[in-house]
Amino acid sequence: MTTNSIRVAVVFGPGRVIKPVWFDLQNRKHAILETTYTWTDLKGSAKRLHFSVRDEGALYELTYNTAEQTWELNQIESY
Amino acid sequence: MDQPVSMSNHRTILHIDMNAFFASVEQANNPELCGRPIAVVGGHGRTVITTSSYEARARGVKTGMAIWEAKRACPELLIVVGDNKKYTHTSTRINGIFRDYTPEVEAFSIDESWLDVTHSLTIFGSAENIAYLIKARIKHLFGITCSIGIAPNKLLAKLASDMQKPDGLTVITPENVSRILEQMPIKELCGIGKKMQRHLNLMSIYTCGELGRCEESRLTRKFGIIGKRLKEMGQGIDNTPVVQFGKEDDVKSVGHSRTLERDIDDPAEIRRFLLQLSEMVGSRARRYNVSGRTIHLYVRYADFFSSWGKQTSLKHYINLSDEIYRAALGILNSVELEQPVRLLGISLSNLKHQAEQLPLFEDERKKLFATQAMDSINDRFGRMSVTFGSLLPGKEKAGSHVIPPSWRPDGVKNIDVQ
Repeated sequence: MTTNSIRVAVVFGPGRVIKPVWFDLQNRKHAILETTYTWTDLKGSAKRLHFSVRDEGALYELTYNTAEQTWELNQIESY
Repeated sequence: MDQPVSMSNHRTILHIDMNAFFASVEQANNPELCGRPIAVVGGHGRTVITTSSYEARARGVKTGMAIWEAKRACPELLIVVGDNKKYTHTSTRINGIFRDYTPEVEAFSIDESWLDVTHSLTIFGSAENIAYLIKARIKHLFGITCSIGIAPNKLLAKLASDMQKPDGLTVITPENVSRILEQMPIKELCGIGKKMQRHLNLMSIYTCGELGRCEESRLTRKFGIIGKRLKEMGQGIDNTPVVQFGKEDDVKSVGHSRTLERDIDDPAEIRRFLLQLSEMVGSRARRYNVSGRTIHLYVRYADFFSSWGKQTSLKHYINLSDEIYRAALGILNSVELEQPVRLLGISLSNLKHQAEQLPLFEDERKKLFATQAMDSINDRFGRMSVTFGSLLPGKEKAGSHVIPPSWRPDGVKNIDVQ
């Protein structure tokens, strides 16, 4: 799928812990039950943080671009 | 496990091998895959299995199998397209954990490292303690397991970690080295490949014990200077140090290779990939201020097994992408391709660290400035943000990027994989 900019609610905790809590997709709020994996990469000089998260029905990959301060949805995998 | 480790007069080396690394990362990433047979492939268009989970291995799935072959062995097999960024990130973080226990950490590949913990034992108590701490932290942070070997040197530590998989911990103490090696097949030793094994078998050498007892002169006559090293390997002797990050020998070559999404025989498309590889090699060489005189081109054909490599040496040192491309194209044009191409690779060697020198002629100066401008834009906005017009998407897609065995968590060998 193509990458989409999305609205994400996030808790920035102590110790640089970033925890996505919910996100909007197609006018529906998806509560994140679990962050299953996180990793980072660089796009040019911009650091991107990737989060694999799951709700009740699917696994999603959310990406935060630290330079542009944007959230994107990169992938959906339904169960 | 054998006896507790007491190696006061010896080095204590750990070899840590992440179990089915790519597949384990994918299983940790997606809980739906946990406990199920999965196989990781390089890209959507590729059909050869890069690695598989232990559940799949138990059903007969092996690395290098075609998907159809693997599905025949295990019909429930789930195919996952690998994500190299995930693996390199995880490997870098795991190597960071190792450095909490000793600065002497050598990454052997993306999923294997050696640690010299000789001087850390007084802090952490014992090598086994360090091993258990590392295992627990990796399991907690990434949900994956590793096999650890503890021994007096790198050769034996690697042998030990291979002895118990997955999630193993094996200790080889100096006292039981000869007992363990006596019946150990020579192919288990790191550095003895299929070809060497065949040669040694022809000399009636099948076990490490037999290799260690073989007369050195007999081995030297057959294999030259490595004969001595082979005998030592058979005896479990290995004095090579654990070389930590940043203290490796100067880099000897800069190279890239790519498996194409499908096998191609169109010369224009092959040339386009050659230019792309030249740009990747050139930009990395320029970033690290090296230039080289020897260009090596490697081609693997569609049948996976046949390949060739050829090199040419120039009179002067180069690192501009178009010069690398011209040299590589010269090699390609001198060979008639027998089959469609599966993989292309270019490397630049015979390197020297480049002292910046402004070219004398106007045209060359312009070319250098244009290249520098292109590199700085790509450093800021990402690789290939600005590139040659002929590299714009053509008929064929590039396909999977392979994490090369030489990948390291940092330095010139830290290739930005896709």
